[in-house]
Amino acid sequence: MATTVLAPGATRTYRRSALYEWLTTTDHKKIGILYLTNSFLFFLLAGLLALVIRSELAVPGLQFVNSSTYNQLFTMHGTTMIFLVLMPFLAGLGNYAVPLQIGAADMAFPRINALSFWMLPLGGILMFSGFFFGGAAAEGWTSYSPLAQAKYSGSGTDLWIVALLLIGTSSILGSINFLATIFKLRAPGMTLLRMPVFVWTVMVTSLLILLATPVFTSGVFMLYIDRNFGGAFFDPASGGNPILWQNLFWFFGHPEVYILILPAMGVISEVVPVFSRKPIFGYKAFIFATLLIGGLGFSVWAHHMFTTGAVYLPFFSLTTSLIGVPTGIKFFNWIATMWRGKISFATPMLFAVGFLSTFLVGGLDGAILASPPVDFALHDTYWIVAHIHFVFFGGTMFGVFAAAYYWFPKMFGARLDEGLGKIHFVLMLIGTWVTFFPMHLLGLEGMPRRIADYSPAAGWTDLNTVETIGSFIIAISVLPFMWNVFVTLRGPRDAGDDPWDGYTLEWATTSPPPPYNFDHLPPIRSERPLFDLKYGHGARRALPSASVATTQEGAS
Amino acid sequence: MQLSPRVRSVVTVAGLAGAVLLLGGCSALYPPNAASSQGADIRTLYSIFMVPMIAIFVLVEGLIVWSVLRYRRRKGDDELPVQTHGNNLLEITWTVLPTLLVLVLFFVSWQTLNKVDAEPANPAVTVDVTGFQWQWTFAYPQYNLSYTGIGDQGPVLVLPVDEVIHVRLHSNDVIHSFYVPDFLFKRDVIPGQVNNFDLNLKDAGVTYTGQCAQLCGMGHYQMRFTVQTMTPANFQAWVQAEQAKAKATPAPAAGGQAGPTLQLSASSTTSFDETSLSAPAGQPFTVQLTNKTAGAPHNFSIKDASGKVLFTGLPLAQPGQTVSYSVPALPAGTYTFFCSVHPTNMTGTLTVK
Repeated sequence: MATTVLAPGATRTYRRSALYEWLTTTDHKKIGILYLTNSFLFFLLAGLLALVIRSELAVPGLQFVNSSTYNQLFTMHGTTMIFLVLMPFLAGLGNYAVPLQIGAADMAFPRINALSFWMLPLGGILMFSGFFFGGAAAEGWTSYSPLAQAKYSGSGTDLWIVALLLIGTSSILGSINFLATIFKLRAPGMTLLRMPVFVWTVMVTSLLILLATPVFTSGVFMLYIDRNFGGAFFDPASGGNPILWQNLFWFFGHPEVYILILPAMGVISEVVPVFSRKPIFGYKAFIFATLLIGGLGFSVWAHHMFTTGAVYLPFFSLTTSLIGVPTGIKFFNWIATMWRGKISFATPMLFAVGFLSTFLVGGLDGAILASPPVDFALHDTYWIVAHIHFVFFGGTMFGVFAAAYYWFPKMFGARLDEGLGKIHFVLMLIGTWVTFFPMHLLGLEGMPRRIADYSPAAGWTDLNTVETIGSFIIAISVLPFMWNVFVTLRGPRDAGDDPWDGYTLEWATTSPPPPYNFDHLPPIRSERPLFDLKYGHGARRALPSASVATTQEGAS
Repeated sequence: MQLSPRVRSVVTVAGLAGAVLLLGGCSALYPPNAASSQGADIRTLYSIFMVPMIAIFVLVEGLIVWSVLRYRRRKGDDELPVQTHGNNLLEITWTVLPTLLVLVLFFVSWQTLNKVDAEPANPAVTVDVTGFQWQWTFAYPQYNLSYTGIGDQGPVLVLPVDEVIHVRLHSNDVIHSFYVPDFLFKRDVIPGQVNNFDLNLKDAGVTYTGQCAQLCGMGHYQMRFTVQTMTPANFQAWVQAEQAKAKATPAPAAGGQAGPTLQLSASSTTSFDETSLSAPAGQPFTVQLTNKTAGAPHNFSIKDASGKVLFTGLPLAQPGQTVSYSVPALPAGTYTFFCSVHPTNMTGTLTVK
């Protein structure tokens, strides 16, 4: 039985300090919260870097930083957002929610779980320490060779490599842990096809991490050898091949994009049904689409290299075109879930709808890049910057905030304030569109990405100024969220076990859950065990609404 | 419909605002008119893609807005909605139709790709473009002409219209990318690999700006150049005039100039090895510049405090070369010496006393 009746921890007679407890914990819920807190701190840091970048670009001329610092800023912004914010945010959500949602007591390897987490702040500190040792890495998060070779870049790049080796190892360990947990620790009755969609997305994501990240860590290790021991893997001056780096990097880098979006899609697939009071529309199609994205995700990497002249274009163009289809399926499933539902707009649902309306743009403006000739025009321009931010900010970050508002009552027993949440949502949605939509237009006008300055004659000034204003709106939008968390944690913990009328097992235990999570579990006969418990298992097949109402009254 | 008048007016206003935005933003949603026939093909392809993209955008955003407004949970409504789990026909439809759509778009795009990447056998003009940190060299091997960029604006690439131009891309150091927004085209410039493309330009007497599109270090943002088009006849005249000018330019005078000789060297594109020099006032002197950088040329130039350039050292010192520049007499004072190829970052102080 995966249900644990007694918490062994409760029998301890000695007390530990709270700090010691947090530093040494192996409880998946505490580690999850550590992940989320750490990611949020790095989110603030990366956001500050972004504000400096946007301030510098607001008008022509170098006002605040020189070009060499500018290159460090966007390199650290990108690397931090991807490896220290988005990935660990999602890993943190997975850590917190997956064992609860499958009715497990903890992750399969609790100590490895703690190790995976603690590598992250260490890696982050190492990477940022470059600023104090002659400059951080400055080659972009893609770190193309030969620019990343020792003769063109400083020791910040070595720190970047070592940090990414740590973070990569952390991800690999984490993914093995998730897979073992999901395959071995599911509660009785929780078959694969009864798992919540979020668990499915974490599972597929973990497979992607397990297959892709070792290629990346090998790549950065080879780069380290190139830089420090005269290896010749990627430097053509000594017989190496710079395209090899790009192939290795993107073989990881593209699945990474799906690693960063799939769990966010999973969150949306939890939030939209609960707040529409309907099951997810087309559960199996949704799972199939997730698997298809994961599979196809490994055959599209070279679409990042269409302009290198070293790629067989039609193949990667075809696979990239096809990967739009499963994403489309998901969109229609989400909308059909809301269709004829009874939707309430608490903050998690607002962020979910924000995700749908914003991520859509990131899907469409990326789909057009599957065409190599169009990519010849738009590659490495601000169109790409618009695309990546509509996907990762309009998509993943909105998903992360939806999850934060959704699971906060479970984590801390108190609901975040709805009024502050709505202010946060509205400002962030406006800021996102104002900042990132004009980037498409700049890309069409030919503004390359990663330039510290542009000529006043280029005609790019107005749009850049607008984007800078938008970026400050985003920054301001985070303040009500932080205030909300602060105030709520000082207030009463009165959210109750199931504040949203949820469907999945995490809402069947107390808020916050005790160590080892469950005293007993409801029977699991569908992907919505708690819904079945509250409304009756029969309700999953379109009961006439009158009888549903009776059932509900009986339950409450 | 069960919509309240308030909701209906919101829908109407949102719909109108959306339509106005789309129409108003329409020209901004398209790239500039292309200067080359290849770019025109790409622009047409982009326009084809935009039709389903805008349609899907309007459809999906419309469905989201509709669901949000229409299916709100009313206060006090505790009844469960009908628990729909799926609909096979719908799901098959929205799987098959998008698949067909992307396959069609893929084939259309493949046709354009073949046109854009076509390389006719006998180009009229071949240009060797060499990128290095952080300038370009444009060479015409058949005319024995070569231009390396100096200053902020980089070199000028003069090209004829109505003829096939063959461009070969070389890099001396890191990866760059040759990008002219008005061509709607870029191609990476990669060390150890020569990339090619062909170009047919349409309008003579036009100037286009271009710049490097692949991050290549601290000077990436100012790795600019200009393309200037001419009629074929004017282009031939320009070639002959340039060839005559090249012959008329005397070879650099041999060393042994009057005055002291200062030694200067450059091992990278970020700075000179020496950042301060001093020379006697009122007396010519010689600067011997040794270029130890693998990929890029350098030179020695002087400007005064106001930024006025007093001396530009030519020819450039190519990698591995040592070149002596005879500098005329300067009054006492403090000057800035710099490399014209890397004017922003390769600077030093010249004290004349």
